[in-house]
Amino acid sequence: MNPYAPELYRIKKTVFESDDFTLKSFLLEPIDGNMMDFIPGQFCEISVFGKGEAPFGIASAPHEKEGLLFTVNRVGLVTGALHEMEEGHIVGIRGPLGNGYPVDEFKGKNVVIIGGGFAFTTLRSLTLYLLENRKDYGKITVIYGARRPGLLLYKEDLANWEKRGDIELHLTVDTEFPEWDKHVGFVPQVLEKVAPSPENAYAVVCGPPVMIKFTLPVLAKLGFEKDKVYTSLERRMKCGIGKCGRCNIGPYYVCKDGPVFSLAQLEKLPKEY
Amino acid sequence: MKRVPLSELERIYEALKSYGSVWVRKKNAYETAETPEELLSTVSKVKKPAKFIFLPEEEPLLAFVQDGKNVTFQEVIREAKGVIFGIPPCEAKAISLLDLNFLQGEGEDIYYKKRRENVLLFGLACLAPDSRCFCTTFGYGPFTESFTDIFGVVVDDVLLFEGITEKGKDLVKNLDVEDAKGEELKKLEAMKKEITERVKKLDIQGIQEKLARMMDSEIWDKISSSCLGCGACTYYCPTCYCFDIQDVERPNWGYRLRTWDSCMFTLYTLEGSGHNPRPELKYRWRNRLMHKFNYYPVLYQEFGCVGCGRCIEVCPVNIDIREILMEVKNEPIRA
Repeated sequence: MNPYAPELYRIKKTVFESDDFTLKSFLLEPIDGNMMDFIPGQFCEISVFGKGEAPFGIASAPHEKEGLLFTVNRVGLVTGALHEMEEGHIVGIRGPLGNGYPVDEFKGKNVVIIGGGFAFTTLRSLTLYLLENRKDYGKITVIYGARRPGLLLYKEDLANWEKRGDIELHLTVDTEFPEWDKHVGFVPQVLEKVAPSPENAYAVVCGPPVMIKFTLPVLAKLGFEKDKVYTSLERRMKCGIGKCGRCNIGPYYVCKDGPVFSLAQLEKLPKEY
Repeated sequence: MKRVPLSELERIYEALKSYGSVWVRKKNAYETAETPEELLSTVSKVKKPAKFIFLPEEEPLLAFVQDGKNVTFQEVIREAKGVIFGIPPCEAKAISLLDLNFLQGEGEDIYYKKRRENVLLFGLACLAPDSRCFCTTFGYGPFTESFTDIFGVVVDDVLLFEGITEKGKDLVKNLDVEDAKGEELKKLEAMKKEITERVKKLDIQGIQEKLARMMDSEIWDKISSSCLGCGACTYYCPTCYCFDIQDVERPNWGYRLRTWDSCMFTLYTLEGSGHNPRPELKYRWRNRLMHKFNYYPVLYQEFGCVGCGRCIEVCPVNIDIREILMEVKNEPIRA
């Protein structure tokens, strides 16, 4: 098997997620009909042939068989080209890559999911996975924030979750907005207010570095142990299989040994992320 | 051990030739030999190591054709078959270290593997270690045969050699050559002792553990202060393997290219957001040294350096990795 050879996928649907058109979601279907199996938190290298490859967390859940969902922030060559693509275009996919969230370890536990900005992609996958296997998990709490309402991803899913009685959803935006009747304030503040119990619980945190920086002390204050807090790291990647060298943190590769690490694991590694 | 007089090397040359390309040592690089005389090269350290035969400076991974919204692609695998004649123990060991990265685990690199499987290493003992060599630091020396398929030593005007791996033994078996003479073997032993002792061995005992406690040391500022970040050390290093993957686009077609890369470059870790986890040279230096003397040992129980001294030779500002290792060793750990 050639680990550098992608599978071909066709763009089935695209949708702008944010009102500033920088975040666009792509639903991809395999042209040979074989949908890959994966664990929430894993990622893929997407090829835009002629431009190159870039890594993206899988935003769909494994049981969503209509396609793989990726939400792409327009920042560079590959993402810029991807944003120009429409339904019917062919892209390459290598994956699933990386370890994913420890969903088996979470079994029987309460799970607190904390997300900020467009880092909610794999958290959508995780949340939907937990809901799909609802009886295996305890209380599910989601705290998700963005600068303003128009930047929150997956509004349809958020609306569905609000209607369900088996998941507690806390949405927040940085400042007051007309017709916004939910939390106002940064994610760490809302976390402190919601104050989920660390009892029999795991926390998963994904977001911009500044959010993570202020969220971790709150989790510590609430009593979450370092081996019960997980996060997913981002790094520049090329091969995705631990060979090309660049995404290492200490002796580990974010692409192969991560991207999901517990705080207990990260504490032993150089702060190169 | 077998023997063949240097004047009759064409017998070996023909046998090697029938296996595939025969690379020999030239001053700047390994090149394919045109005549048997070229096996007699006296270059003891080729400037550019042989790793490029397995991991070329650039190679296409796949080629694609675009037709409107559609794309089709084909894998492109550049194979190699032959023998590298005269590769010294340090470079052979370096290739064994590359194997750890490219052949271990689930994601076997088939591009590397296709070449590695079909290229034999006909090693020769290094008879002229230079002032920058420190191979014996790493538990082997100029006469170590274990990383090669066939290993030989030139004693006076005779080549003594033997098969080391199964593939190497098969090749030797089919040669019509005599056994080495007793006095030749005796002379070989004397040479081995004398030449091995000539290599200046560093005492790096405990360096892996010491480095583990030096992530936040000020030594990285000091070490990197004169470095230009040119990456020459990594390109010439026989154990460095970092690579980049880029697409080359032509109208309606293109190809995906793998090229050498270097951890000494800013772009190596620069993320799309503008964030760089190793924003300054000192962090890149720390990573380079850590990778060779801490991370590689953690992952594979082997140092990622073979002591060939190329990085010392090519550095435009005379940074000497041996001095750095000694500085690391002597640096006090602050509480």
